[in-house]
Amino acid sequence: MKTKFILYSLVGLLAITILSFANLSSKTTISSLTNDELANLSVQEVLIELKDEKPIHYIHKENADSVRMGYELVHFGQLKNKSNKRISKFFVCTDCHNQVKEVRNLSIETADERLRYGIKHQIPFLPASTFYGLYNKRHWYNGDYYKKYGDLVLPTRDTLINAIQLCAVQCSQGRPMQTWELRAVLHYLRSIDYKIKDLSLTPQELEYIKLHLGTSSPKTIKMIKSKYAETNPATFGDPYISISDDAVGNIENGKYIFEKGCLHCHQLGKNITAFEFDAESLTFSFLEKKLKKHSNYSVPYIVRKGTYATSGKRQYMPQYPLEKMNKQQLIDLIFYIKSKSK
Amino acid sequence: MKLTLTTVLVILGLTTFSQEKIWNTFEGTRVLNNHSTEMLYKHNLEIIIAHKFGDIAGSNGGFDNFFGFDNLADVRFGFEYGATTNFDIGLGRNKGVNQQTQVIDGYAKYRFIQQEKNGKPINLTFVSSMAFVGRKASTDSTSIAYYKEPLERLIFTNQILVSRKMNQRLSLQINVGYHHRNLVTYNDVNGMIFTGGVIRYRVTQTFGLITEYNHVWNRVKATGQKNPLSVGFELITGGHNFTIVLSNGRGINENLFLSNTYSDWLKGQWRIGFSINRRFKL
Ligand code: HEC
Ligand code: HEC
Repeated sequence: MKTKFILYSLVGLLAITILSFANLSSKTTISSLTNDELANLSVQEVLIELKDEKPIHYIHKENADSVRMGYELVHFGQLKNKSNKRISKFFVCTDCHNQVKEVRNLSIETADERLRYGIKHQIPFLPASTFYGLYNKRHWYNGDYYKKYGDLVLPTRDTLINAIQLCAVQCSQGRPMQTWELRAVLHYLRSIDYKIKDLSLTPQELEYIKLHLGTSSPKTIKMIKSKYAETNPATFGDPYISISDDAVGNIENGKYIFEKGCLHCHQLGKNITAFEFDAESLTFSFLEKKLKKHSNYSVPYIVRKGTYATSGKRQYMPQYPLEKMNKQQLIDLIFYIKSKSK
Repeated sequence: MKLTLTTVLVILGLTTFSQEKIWNTFEGTRVLNNHSTEMLYKHNLEIIIAHKFGDIAGSNGGFDNFFGFDNLADVRFGFEYGATTNFDIGLGRNKGVNQQTQVIDGYAKYRFIQQEKNGKPINLTFVSSMAFVGRKASTDSTSIAYYKEPLERLIFTNQILVSRKMNQRLSLQINVGYHHRNLVTYNDVNGMIFTGGVIRYRVTQTFGLITEYNHVWNRVKATGQKNPLSVGFELITGGHNFTIVLSNGRGINENLFLSNTYSDWLKGQWRIGFSINRRFKL
């Protein structure tokens, strides 16, 4: 009787032990993914499955609550329940940064592609980089932003969380963010990082990735990283442009830049700038007249140089680097303004 | 049948979609002296400094008084705050005019309707303001400042403003209201009903012309009071707004200029005034 009991117990224990092993091994290996499942995976996770080095800002598990709070901080400048102080009384992040993909093919992130895709999807045409995929970058405040912010950019160049902090204080003219707020924004950025389906991969490339998942594969990593830029480069343009007599501007493009760019901040009722205007002839005549002078109000000057925050008037205009508005697009804008001021 | 269906759909469309709002019917919360339907943005603080000088011509004007610049008619320092998008409060200190001096005023202003591109055709704002005359009571029993108790020092003005931005250049406003002084001289009325009108015409992006007139219906002729008429222009630069006004009214606040205007345009008793506004985000 007793031995029977012990035997049954042992068999039971054994069964449990075996089952628990079975449990462990039943965790899906990432390589048995369908194409659809792979398409929805985040690029960062796939890179780690390929044994790429984790970035400093790597977040192991996305927290839905943090994502929501990050979303609110980015869109409204504070939590919706208003339990924290506004980050800035002058700006919210979305005044300068989009939250969506700005080009069709991430490996061709030119100003022209941005404009074409932007017109198609009616995306704001803004001077700063989109938050979509910012999590996948490796360096921030690149290129000529050193000229503008000097040594302030150095700690941000390889650390995303420092870039967020610099932008809260410098770009948004606000207060330093607290650690939990920075974490929340980071979680939010993780929620809008690149997914495999954003990368314009061929079916062969997808198969190639699947084949190597779970193994250390620098080649696959390199292939994936060739599909998008790991930085947002920035080159400041010349504030004095000479438009040759045979130059032509595309008025349709200019209209888009004006309406989805300039008006994004300057539209009457927006309460972002103290210099508000609309798309009416008085505005265009005003801007056109200033074109002739190289004053601070002249459109090429303001686009390339922006304005600086002064005490008492802390809201300033961020400049458009060439990557965000190229020479031809500036000419398009000027032609549009001229065409409307008549 | 088809027609009724489309009408219903159109009406539904008009009511269900939020319309694009029309902003900047006027540049500031004041036209020249009186309120406009315009509101401050939420969290914005505005500081207004307004001056009015003495008579340009007439017996008190002319070269002797350097066309009025030597004697100040009124000065007002105002602090106004946009508590919400549609609710403003304000506080001001006036030098005051004639016998009503050292005046503190305060107001609350609510916007009920904002004009929309394809929706509501007008702006409608209600302003309730009050002033307290702070000077020492006069000992002259015929004086308007012969205060026997503090309540007599109060003046009230409630008005409804209706405006419409006709196009980028032209804005019109009419207002009706009730103005009440707790203490008046023996031959005057305490309560006055008034109607006013404003025309604003923007010549360029940064320059506009304005006229403002208020008519009191039950004014007692014998008091010698006049209806305040002002013409002026505005210079708009980002962050400040500068207006220059010519007016027979000496007072700057509505509690003063509605009933305390004795000057006559026809006798050269008009003056230059100006106001500078500066906005801050809080
Ligand atoms: C007034 C405009 C403005 C506002 C508001 C603003 N930013 Fe920026 N931000 C910029 C500009 C300009 C850059 C320069 C680099 C770029 O975006 O390409 C930048 C860069 C950044 C970067 C580094 C991006 C890169 O690729 O170099 C981060 C991260 C960032 N901002 C986060 C934020 C956050 C978070 C907020 C809101 C709290 C915010 N920003 C608000 C203008 C702004
Ligand atoms: C990210 C928001 C933003 C965008 C986009 C933007 N501006 Fe500005 N702009 C500002 C701010 C803020 C100021 C500072 C004005 C103030 O509040 O006093 C400003 C100032 C200006 C001024 C006045 C300069 C001065 O000396 O006061 C001009 C002119 C101007 N912008 C034109 C443009 C044009 C044209 C575009 C489109 C290419 C544009 N802005 C896009 C925010 C923006």
